[in-house]
Amino acid sequence: MMPIQLTLAARYLWGRKLRTFLTTLAIVFGVLVIFSMNILLPTMMQAFATSLQSAAGQVDLTITHKSGETFSTRVLDQIENVDGIRAASGTLERPINIPANFFRNANIGAVTLIGLEPKAAQALRDYSVKEGRFLRDTDTNAAALTAGLADTLGLKLGDEIPIPTAQGVVRFKIVGIRPAQALPGNEPVYVNLPQAQKIFGLPNRINTVEANYTTTDAAQRAQIERTIQNLLGPDYQFGGLGTSSELFASMQTAQTIFNVLGFLALFMGGFIIFNTFRTIVAERRRDIGMLRAVGASRGAIMSLFLAEGLAQGVVGVALGIALGYLAGAGITALASGAMEQFLHVKIGAPIVEPILLIMTIGLGLGVTLASGLLPAWNASRVTPLEALRPSQADVEKGKTWSKKTIAGVTLLVMAVGGLLSQNISLVALGGFAFLCGLILVAPALVKPVAGLFGALLTLLFARQGTGDLAQGNLARQPSRAAITASATMIGLAIIVAAVGLITSITGGINAVLAKSLGSDYLLVPPAVGVWSNDVGASSTLADRLRGVYGVGVVSTLRFASTTINTEAVNLLGVDPTAFPQVSGLNFIQGNPQTAFAQLAEGRTIILNGIAASQLKANLGDTVKISSPEGEQSYRVVGVGSDFINTKIMTAYTSQQNLKRDFLKTEDILIQINLAPGADAAQVEPRLKDIAAKYPQFKFISGKAYIQENQRLFNASFSVFYIVLFAFALPSLIAMLNTLAIGVIERTREIGMLRAIGATRKQVRRTIMTEALLLAALGTAFGLLGGLYLGYVMVLGMNASGMYPLTYSFPLAGILIALALGLIFGVIAALFPARQAANMNIIRALRYE
Amino acid sequence: MSLVQTQDLTKVYGAGDMAVTALDRVNIRVAAGEFVAVMGPSGCGKSTLLHLIGGLDRPTTGKVWIENVSLGELNDDKLTALRRRKIGFVFQFFNLIPVLDATENAALPLMLDGTNSAQARARAREWLTRVGLEKRLTNRPDQLSGGQQQRVAIARALAAEPALVLADEPTGNLDTRAADEIAGLLRQVSDEWGRAVVMVTHDPRIAAYADRIVFIKDGKAVDETKLKQDGSDNAALVTGRMHALAE
Ligand SMILES: Nc1ncnc2c1ncn2[C@@H]1O[C@H](COP(=O)(O)OP(=O)(O)OP(=O)(O)O)[C@@H](O)[C@H]1O
Ligand SMILES: [Mg+2]
Repeated sequence: MMPIQLTLAARYLWGRKLRTFLTTLAIVFGVLVIFSMNILLPTMMQAFATSLQSAAGQVDLTITHKSGETFSTRVLDQIENVDGIRAASGTLERPINIPANFFRNANIGAVTLIGLEPKAAQALRDYSVKEGRFLRDTDTNAAALTAGLADTLGLKLGDEIPIPTAQGVVRFKIVGIRPAQALPGNEPVYVNLPQAQKIFGLPNRINTVEANYTTTDAAQRAQIERTIQNLLGPDYQFGGLGTSSELFASMQTAQTIFNVLGFLALFMGGFIIFNTFRTIVAERRRDIGMLRAVGASRGAIMSLFLAEGLAQGVVGVALGIALGYLAGAGITALASGAMEQFLHVKIGAPIVEPILLIMTIGLGLGVTLASGLLPAWNASRVTPLEALRPSQADVEKGKTWSKKTIAGVTLLVMAVGGLLSQNISLVALGGFAFLCGLILVAPALVKPVAGLFGALLTLLFARQGTGDLAQGNLARQPSRAAITASATMIGLAIIVAAVGLITSITGGINAVLAKSLGSDYLLVPPAVGVWSNDVGASSTLADRLRGVYGVGVVSTLRFASTTINTEAVNLLGVDPTAFPQVSGLNFIQGNPQTAFAQLAEGRTIILNGIAASQLKANLGDTVKISSPEGEQSYRVVGVGSDFINTKIMTAYTSQQNLKRDFLKTEDILIQINLAPGADAAQVEPRLKDIAAKYPQFKFISGKAYIQENQRLFNASFSVFYIVLFAFALPSLIAMLNTLAIGVIERTREIGMLRAIGATRKQVRRTIMTEALLLAALGTAFGLLGGLYLGYVMVLGMNASGMYPLTYSFPLAGILIALALGLIFGVIAALFPARQAANMNIIRALRYE
Repeated sequence: MSLVQTQDLTKVYGAGDMAVTALDRVNIRVAAGEFVAVMGPSGCGKSTLLHLIGGLDRPTTGKVWIENVSLGELNDDKLTALRRRKIGFVFQFFNLIPVLDATENAALPLMLDGTNSAQARARAREWLTRVGLEKRLTNRPDQLSGGQQQRVAIARALAAEPALVLADEPTGNLDTRAADEIAGLLRQVSDEWGRAVVMVTHDPRIAAYADRIVFIKDGKAVDETKLKQDGSDNAALVTGRMHALAE
């Protein structure tokens, strides 16, 4: 039993309600950041994956019967109930032959009638419409068609389309017109599943089930597929998105970014709590000294702080988790409206993993206890007398170059060294060193920075003389000022870093897209990036395209799979002259001129980023490539990436080499540029005609392809901005909280100011000025830290061989951070400044 | 055997050029129940002496014995326990825990020692009544006057029935009347309740309540004056001695 410690703890908590409230609030916010972010992330990841997949028209799993026949809808129910299935939808899809002269305007051989459940189907795929709307679950007699079919048949929105069936002609009202379909084949007519089942006389039957998973983890996906296979037996056939596909790699990239954000949230939450407790350390030291003098043992002091920390921690963590869940759910709900509307993505309630709960509780309580016990531990290490004396933080030391400062500067120098080394692990380590270094040197920087901003503010408040006072206050207690400022710093640093990363990614992707798909037209195979599945065309196709009047350059891509230094690599054959004219690579090593020139001569290759890093091969190295003709030595003449192959180990060589060593002459992707001055309107139909004879290719204009990809990325990245917002807001509120605690801590000092004749206005101004100075300080540090961190992340993305990014300076992020820092500085100052100005002098002086 | 004994007690703050010898080979004794005043100019080392005797700080060289126990040989836990049971402190500032009321503050050393709460409070109330605060038992420090706060501190110092009370300028913050009351109280602590008191003060009138005065100058114990508590004008005597020593 330790009644006195508990009594004391209770009294401290109860006797200083405002402070207890604010420190508990800090725990609440810390936990809230951790919890809401981490429950939001899986949901957002799902939204991201779904929007990406639906826009790309791909699903994780497609199930059909081996016989090609229909099966019962019960199969769909079974699949929906499997763990790890996020969404599933069943369709009944059959061609309908159209008798000659059935339609007045045109003769078409057949259409494909697709019966689906609109809501479920839209959770998997994008069914966007050009005009009208897509089907609804409540529709009974409605259809959606493609613009191509509607044009051919001369039908408009609101018209009826007749469909010949066994029961006679059935008429559907056209409610939506979809964009023309790119692929050749029967034009689809979409109707509701029950209607399709009725038409075909197949009640409760479907012939395809599509599903998306909740996870991007390869092992878990395989597990889900096995479960379903066991469930359905051997009569069913499985298809879908392979884990080696480009799309899947995109999803994994996103997952990595989300994981990083989740980790940053942990860090941020812990820091908010720790920082708040550090703010109140000075005063605690004196109380500890007093208790020790009257005979409290070290153990007693520790248990007092333990009790206090536990009480605040338990309440704070519980509230934080509750509010974090509400915030996560709230943001999800808010975002889901927009996502359903624009992305046709349905997202469920936030997911709470038990491990997250445990981690949040552990971190929340752990940091609370540690940051409370640390000063107690330190204070109990020294004699009671030393503890009784005002702590270091209260006493300005003459020398600004303390050990801490030197350590901080050393860390900063090391960080910059790491940056210059361009070695990713050194740079990443440097990022951490940089933040720690900033925190350490902050006290020494307080004075000059405060002086600089202070001079400015003194000009503003010249007549009151309060600018000087505030500046002096900060300069007298640089450590305390630095602690408060570093709270702001971390929050802003993370925002600047994240915005930096996102602008770099979007900027990078747009640039790469434009570069590698910049040709006027493309003939793309169904599986872009997974070349081995693609059926190509002989060089006749390219030659015929070249023969069209108005065509300038035709560049083709050929493919062979091989191993380089025993690693599996996609080898792409290009024409060294034509390829750089219509497409291009983002060079990391070497340059386009010499690289493509050398590619034309002998056994040479250009590696993409991921291949170079995996193979640890650099410009000028020689690698061993296995080929049907035996092992060959190839010289690396450049390292560069394109958009399509960024995430798959890829090497580019000349088509001559591919022919000689791999006996491959098939074209699998064709890019076409028009001759200068050619009339696209004339050339395009001719190219289309030629392409139509090669149904394995999809003919599209480069511009449309880029736009489609950009739209996809922009939609997906909106998710990141939502997450960023969820991250920034509580962090900034926490900063506000820390500033407020800073003011309460100085209650007595403020009372003294008032006593010696400072007017309310002067006190208010002083506090305001101080808060602004602190905010300016924190913002300045935050920008520095954020720029570095952002750079680290971009470099990290590059090193992992994903998107080839160049760091774009996040000007928007900086402006946002500046504005946020200063606005919040003012808001943070308003409340405490009023509080301070209206303080009862006597009570303030007596406050301890 | 004396209750308190020091041997060549020396305290040096800092090192090298910056070194300050706050206390320089001081040898003093305090008998049980004796009331000793420590006087000397500001900065001469009075507080340092008190802190070393009370085990709040460790000497650079030299020794302190309390009831034949050498403080230097005790580890922190033992030293803390000794402070709790044998020594009561009264400081000039920051005397009380702001979130506890008068009774709880006074009961603090007992509660820290594991005495059950009801018993500790009863003892605290008893002592608060003796120091004249029976009407202020449940007030928090910020609701008490400076003199009243100091009385709570004295009640706290006595509540654990220590053998020794150390008071560093206990009247420094008080007016003449309140100061006299506190000094009288400390006199009573020694006379009626048999505790030894070592009190630092600047005020000859307050020092006059003591049995003996130790004068310190530049860290050295330079003089001792015995006083008789028989109604003679001790204050004048002390003032005379002070002036003589200041020469
Ligand atoms: N922590 C410390 N570090 C360095 N010097 C110190 C420290 N504490 C005290 N001193 C020095 O030791 C000397 C004695 O200090 P002490 O507090 O004992 O004086 P004092 O006699 O109590 O003075 P006063 O009457 O003003 O309270 C002084 O010169 C003081 O500057
Ligand atoms: Mg003193």
